[in-house]
Amino acid sequence: MHKILFLIFFISVGAFAQKEMTPTEAVALKAKVKTRADATTTVLSEFTQYKHLDFLSDDIVSQGKLAFKVPNLVKWEYTKPFAYSVLFKNETLFINDDGNKSNMDVGSNKIFKQLNQLITASIRGDMFNDDEFNIKYFKINDSSLVYFLPKDEQFSKFIKAFHLSFNANGDVTEVKMIEPSDDYTQIKFTDRVVNKNLSDAVFTQ
Amino acid sequence: MRFLLNSLCFFLLLGCASYPVQNGFESKSDSSQETSNPYFANAEKDYVYKAKIDAFNKSFGGIFIVKKLGPEHHRIAFSTEIGNTIFDFTFEGDDFKVNRILKELDRKILINILKRDFKALIQEQSPVKNHFSLKNDDILQTDILSKKHYFHYTNNQLNKIVRADRNKEKVDFSFTNIDGQFAKEIEIAHHNFKLHIALKAFK
Repeated sequence: MHKILFLIFFISVGAFAQKEMTPTEAVALKAKVKTRADATTTVLSEFTQYKHLDFLSDDIVSQGKLAFKVPNLVKWEYTKPFAYSVLFKNETLFINDDGNKSNMDVGSNKIFKQLNQLITASIRGDMFNDDEFNIKYFKINDSSLVYFLPKDEQFSKFIKAFHLSFNANGDVTEVKMIEPSDDYTQIKFTDRVVNKNLSDAVFTQ
Repeated sequence: MRFLLNSLCFFLLLGCASYPVQNGFESKSDSSQETSNPYFANAEKDYVYKAKIDAFNKSFGGIFIVKKLGPEHHRIAFSTEIGNTIFDFTFEGDDFKVNRILKELDRKILINILKRDFKALIQEQSPVKNHFSLKNDDILQTDILSKKHYFHYTNNQLNKIVRADRNKEKVDFSFTNIDGQFAKEIEIAHHNFKLHIALKAFK
């Protein structure tokens, strides 16, 4: 019995072990994701968000829908456990907090501007910018995991690292934003639909 | 003329009268030893609220989190809905520590306001200085961070805390939609400047 358990443990560890990619593999992944991102005009996806704080017993879970349209229209719509949506449009952040609407000009705010660019890039997966990030590539079976460590000192005080997971097709399946304290927000995407015709009405508040 | 002077004196006296006198509280002799606030007292529970903050004509939302980590030891954090931490404080006994605060909000005056408010919100027990009654309510007066606080109880259930400075009501903490020892809705309203925090429990 012990042997079987030991074997199962070993197989599980083996199955989830992440290995650093060779430079050739990393180049191939970048090319695959870039091709995929270039061919993507819209994305619709469900998401589940886990906010992890070390001192809490459980992660804080919320759910919602994401809509993206090229070049940079992004709407996060939380439906559970509260109604809240945030729309990035023309350098403005439009917020609808359970019917209370407000907006914020983020054009002048460097952090928000960067965050917006990153969110857009991370949905498409295309954030392989060596000027802005130190990037590390890993493979887990047929999927990939990429660490993006912001080089900008001010930004890294806000978010220490982004971890993006890609499936074999080069689609982003998970985004993890890690704070300097090591607390993190993990967003898992499911039911992703690419290139469905999305009218601009979707991107209103 | 005498009537006018009398009236003026009356209003002046009333104006200077203490908060209990102004509000018609009756003094009670049987004094409870300690105030009690059970709403953040369960160390097994993660207290998670959707927050709406109106501050100085700006309105923004977020997630307000309280966790009891031990006797007189709480952690309080606030994050955006998307998950970025805005501030994270530790209260332990008389100590207060800022674990993290967004650079834009790192102002001593703001941190002090939040410290005072949250200390009053989570303080489970505090020695009673005076005991009053008003209709069916029991009101216990205590000091929190050297300010007078009045704990209002109806049928032994805490439904309001008022911070009063001299004779004026400065801050109101109201607890509603109470389920056992869990307040599902909480409002913190400041009367001397525009700050209003409304909390609604996640579940």
